[in-house]
Amino acid sequence: MPALNKLYEQYKDRVQFLVVYITEAHPSDVWQMESNVRDHVVFASPKTEEERAFVAGACVRKLGIKIPAVLDEFGNSTELAYTGWPDRMYLIDSQGRIAYKSKPGPFGFKPAELETALARVAGTRSTSLMSGRRMSVMIP
Amino acid sequence: MVKPRLRLSPRGRRILLITLCALALLYVASLSYIWWAMHEPPEQFGKVMSRMPGPVPFLLFPFETLWLRARAGHLNVGDAAPDFNLAKLDKTAHIQLSALNQQQPVALVFGSYT
Repeated sequence: MPALNKLYEQYKDRVQFLVVYITEAHPSDVWQMESNVRDHVVFASPKTEEERAFVAGACVRKLGIKIPAVLDEFGNSTELAYTGWPDRMYLIDSQGRIAYKSKPGPFGFKPAELETALARVAGTRSTSLMSGRRMSVMIP
Repeated sequence: MVKPRLRLSPRGRRILLITLCALALLYVASLSYIWWAMHEPPEQFGKVMSRMPGPVPFLLFPFETLWLRARAGHLNVGDAAPDFNLAKLDKTAHIQLSALNQQQPVALVFGSYT
């Protein structure tokens, strides 16, 4: 997440950023992860729209996400349209066409790739982001 | 020097062959099961994975390759981005992608907490 916040700070005047909060990857009642227990990130699958909003809110606060966030509706229509689960990134150009689509996370979630695409679509002024850190708390 | 050599009776050879075939079948069946689960909704996939013995599926199968293929998705670079209208987390407003996208490119980040 720090890598994405950094890209957001760098490009926010030229590119709109949006986090789409979707179905939990490792809820405690379905597929608990040891790493999440260690980090005290233990949530059961939200059963209602309100519960989902609650977990999403906790996610944004605890991870220090600066990017504006929206909540996918309970039918997961947006996730399904974009195959966004468990995590994924897209860049859409100003003509409404997909300019970059990451591979599915956790393996394909690489902010450094998004940075390259941002530089291409929104112009340079980019400082290199060699580390390519993943959103390690958000994904397995 | 006497070379150590495994001598099997015809019966032993048959048992070995059957065992190897059974293992191969089991492997293919497990692989197909994981491949099927990867195409299921997240909850179903999570249930399947939670029943797997620890890191075994990751060690035994080309998990990453399967995953990248199974969840490749149907959108391609150059396609029109599907529109959506979703509530902001703070519930102050709805955001429509096409409206947001009118002036500037949009970077979308899909994810969850866990």
